[in-house]
Amino acid sequence: MPTGKAAGTRCSGSNLSHSPSIIRRLSVIGPWVLVLPASLALLLLLVLPVAGTLMESFGNPKGIWENYRLFFSSSYNRAVLIRSFWIALQATAVSLVAGFFGAYMIANSRPGLKRVLLIVSVFPLLTGVVVRSFSWMAILGRNGIVNTALIQLGLIDQPLSLLFTQGAVIVGLAYLFTPLMILSLVGVLETIEDDLYLAAESLGASPFGVFRQVTLPLAVPGMIVGSVLVFTGSLATFVTPRLLGGEPQMTLATLLYQKAMISFDWEAANTIAAIMMAVTILCVFLMGWLVRRATSARVAQ
Amino acid sequence: MSSMVSLMRMAAFVTGIALPVFASAQEKLVISDWGYANDFLVPKVYEPFEKANNVKIVIETGGAPERLNKARIRGGVDIIYLTDKFSQIGIDQGAFDKIDASKLANFDELYDAAKHPQGDYGPAVTFGRYGIVYDKTRTATPITSWCDLWRPDFKGAIAMPGFNTTGGPSVVMMAAKCAGTDAFSDPDAAFRKMAELKPNIVKTFSSGSELTNLLSTGEAFIGLAQDYAFPAIKAANANIGWAELKEGDFAMMNTINIPANSKNKELALKFIDWQISKDIQQISSIALGGGQGPVNKNVELTPEQASRLVYGEKAVTSMQTNPYEKLLAVNADWESRWNTVFGQ
Repeated sequence: MPTGKAAGTRCSGSNLSHSPSIIRRLSVIGPWVLVLPASLALLLLLVLPVAGTLMESFGNPKGIWENYRLFFSSSYNRAVLIRSFWIALQATAVSLVAGFFGAYMIANSRPGLKRVLLIVSVFPLLTGVVVRSFSWMAILGRNGIVNTALIQLGLIDQPLSLLFTQGAVIVGLAYLFTPLMILSLVGVLETIEDDLYLAAESLGASPFGVFRQVTLPLAVPGMIVGSVLVFTGSLATFVTPRLLGGEPQMTLATLLYQKAMISFDWEAANTIAAIMMAVTILCVFLMGWLVRRATSARVAQ
Repeated sequence: MSSMVSLMRMAAFVTGIALPVFASAQEKLVISDWGYANDFLVPKVYEPFEKANNVKIVIETGGAPERLNKARIRGGVDIIYLTDKFSQIGIDQGAFDKIDASKLANFDELYDAAKHPQGDYGPAVTFGRYGIVYDKTRTATPITSWCDLWRPDFKGAIAMPGFNTTGGPSVVMMAAKCAGTDAFSDPDAAFRKMAELKPNIVKTFSSGSELTNLLSTGEAFIGLAQDYAFPAIKAANANIGWAELKEGDFAMMNTINIPANSKNKELALKFIDWQISKDIQQISSIALGGGQGPVNKNVELTPEQASRLVYGEKAVTSMQTNPYEKLLAVNADWESRWNTVFGQ
């Protein structure tokens, strides 16, 4: 838009009869014409289908909220909903801890090494979700690396059931999303100025004290952003719970697949999709609010 | 995930518009099948039919429920292969046309069990069975009954089909039988017995390939399997054998149907006739082995070939059957009971 305004101002001084108005008109319409194809594509391929999904979840002839009432009245669905949250929350906690240490190490290493470490930590993102989840089947399986190692060390004599458990799903999700956590944290940790550490140390803070009173509080915005990315991602991921979990680890995403593709129950599938969307949007808003609060608290300090 | 359903709808919409536009002069027959046997079916069954009838065959593959869903809602499918469970669902939904058997030249060559398995709808095209496979090196006492699945030494050993598969509800029926009752009259007892089975289940699966994977990696050493998957399972782990069960296996069959919204019904009928002909049945049974028991009486197999198949009417009628109409009537109730047992 600034282009249009600038062109308009430039032409207003001129007395030529037709061309300025055409130019002015073109410069007003031009940007709109340029964004039209992309907007149309987005509207047709994203906005309309999502709106359709939302509308259909309210489309039960018995009443607007009937589909939601049906969904929430089943104790099984409620259990799946709570389990999905619980699994996503645990995966977020695991990747927050793992990601923080990873990011801390990266942020404090030499520039050359830093680049290598960053690439290594983001490397898993270059392979597909299926491959990454499948690799955990090879690690956690009966004849997998963990069980074989434990048996050969003489710690156990029967393989442990690690696969198809909630723990396996959490580990798989944490592995999947920790790179996102690292990326969110590295940026924040890098901006903490060394002077702050020096000042804290000169005032007598122990290394742990520096970490607890300087590093941690300043990293809060990055932790929140990373956590929301991991949490919403874990909540929506389908492949990992499908491959690493069993029927007792049914999550919203796998339930949605089952309703849409196997039991033909598209009303229920639409409702689950709408619930997942609502949760994600809520999380994003919550994140914005928390980040603003954390930042303003810091400024106040 | 959230937009997947909508994307599917979008894709269906776009295809719906695009299909007529791109329709070429040559006639087109859209066949919907599982895809696992297409390396054989395409050159040996589909292409000869294309040549004989100057038609272009287009194949759509996928799992039974999603293909049925697509054929019914989006349309554009002329022939659909399904297990009898899913063709019964399609029939109940009004998705298929009845078949005029008098127009099928090869119809009289079919075994009676294959002629009208589900009323006047499509005939069966293969016979198969559903039973128990297990790694014979991992248990000293062989499995001889469905009730052996509850043995305490099988803790965490069994891969069982999920409820929404062809074989899932059969387990419930057997559970009731092992508890000395009937699943339809006493579902409480049946699912109490299913709850007792839970410790023995390592994973519920939804496709034959998933089962093959579980058995070949050793995650499970007992599987409830349909015989079409058996050659692949055997190839992955040679120690796995088919259990001889005193109650017998369950009879399974695949059917072929013409969706009600097909635009090419004459040709589709011709294809069904081709599919049940002696020659096609014979080469399919020999080449594909498990799960491809012939439905045409005139097919002759050597004892070696026949040993891998459900061969002959006696073999079919001696097995237990799945009363699909009854099962579909209790489907919602059983599904929620199943979820209560296995989903928590």
